[in-house]
Amino acid sequence: MGKVPSEFLGYARPDGSAGTRNHVLVLSVLGLANRAAERAASALPGVLYVGTPYGRGQYGDDKTAHRDQLVGLCRNPNVAGVVIVGADRGALEGIAHLAAASGKPIRTVALDDTHEDSLDASAIAIRHAGDLAHAASRLRREKLPASALFMGVECGHSDATSGLVANPVSGACVDLLVDAGGTAVVGETVEWLGAEHIVSKRAANDAVAKAIVDAVLRREQAVARTGQDLTGNNPGAENIRGGLSSIEEKSLGAIAKTGSRPIQGVLALAERPAGKGLYLMDGPSFSPESLTGFAAAGAQLMLFTTGAGNAFTNAIAPTIKITGRPDTARRLVQQIDFDASPVFEGREDIVDAGARLFELVMAVASGAATWGEIHGEGAECFTRTGASM
Amino acid sequence: MTIGWNAIAIDPQDGVAVALRDLSPGDEVIVRVGGKVETLTARAAVALGHKIARRAHAAGEPVTKYGARIALAIKAFAAGDHVHVHNIKSARARKESV
Repeated sequence: MGKVPSEFLGYARPDGSAGTRNHVLVLSVLGLANRAAERAASALPGVLYVGTPYGRGQYGDDKTAHRDQLVGLCRNPNVAGVVIVGADRGALEGIAHLAAASGKPIRTVALDDTHEDSLDASAIAIRHAGDLAHAASRLRREKLPASALFMGVECGHSDATSGLVANPVSGACVDLLVDAGGTAVVGETVEWLGAEHIVSKRAANDAVAKAIVDAVLRREQAVARTGQDLTGNNPGAENIRGGLSSIEEKSLGAIAKTGSRPIQGVLALAERPAGKGLYLMDGPSFSPESLTGFAAAGAQLMLFTTGAGNAFTNAIAPTIKITGRPDTARRLVQQIDFDASPVFEGREDIVDAGARLFELVMAVASGAATWGEIHGEGAECFTRTGASM
Repeated sequence: MTIGWNAIAIDPQDGVAVALRDLSPGDEVIVRVGGKVETLTARAAVALGHKIARRAHAAGEPVTKYGARIALAIKAFAAGDHVHVHNIKSARARKESV
């Protein structure tokens, strides 16, 4: 394999971050305002809608985590500008103020402003989003270093080929990004369970090693308190069909996604990494929620490995689907972006496939569309950490 | 398949190998282990990606893959048997493990 690319064509943002996409986002921060926001976004081709079903009756850590996810999505480098739609102006201003730290244009529309008239709110949001789209279209991609990339790494509908092929290939790609000075994150704390003795050995220091072991123990105890058996839930039915028998087996395969470089820290859900390199995120094991956690932390691109196939992608960050399973690659031609099955068939080694994947990462970062983008699969899925009042 | 084996042991110490194609009872299984191969006979159908025992296990014995414990045997099984949720169980997923 030759030299891997060290630059991509991205959008330089006012806060120094780099976008791989140039979305205008209409974000509803409250379930009450979703239709007003969605109606506005759908009136303008190419404008992205994201809404949350929640936003009232939340308190404590759950309220903070929900706000961090909303603010984080606004601040994501792939977003050129945001129209934030909500109900009461006070709550809206709080989120807008935090989002404005990114230096990008932020507009707000509250149902308060229109005396609860949702159609009027949509009309105002359309004009705001129109302005932002006009401005965003004048931005141009420029050469930026690979070190500006922050990549989320996820798996979904894993089977035994994931741990054997797609996850190690992704890990090899993560190593290349980290060596280029970039950043990567792997989440799904439950999928370190049974492998935490291996993962924690790669911690950059003792505090990080302890944070890894503690995060696993908290999840394990939380599940145990419900009296539930993880088997059947994680691994789930499709994992079991694919040959995975236990959470330990799934975890030992899943951690291969992290590659081999030192782990710099354990992030909370939606927390932005303090530096470069490889991070873990203490987050949910459901991949749509996990990906939203990464996007809210600032990830501009995702790797997503699968065994049987899995169409879900993130809305804000292009999501590269990878399988090592030959029949899946043949069957899901317009879902799988990267076919790692030559490794499964013994025709390519993991390091070469990782370099080939890194080339695709740089192409997608520069604007090449993933199948998920072409089909409009993308969505955001917000995590709750507590019940409503 | 262009290669000379139809199963792989990820770590030489592993008690199980991973089937690289669907195996039927009576099939000769050629397991790649590091740079070498070993052979055994499949005693059951083992689908692609599923595990086949490289050696006999007693009930309660740890089962290893990736060089680490993935589960405990809940009943005895022989070399060549399909190894899955019917004969092994997570040691971590149960309520009483915490």
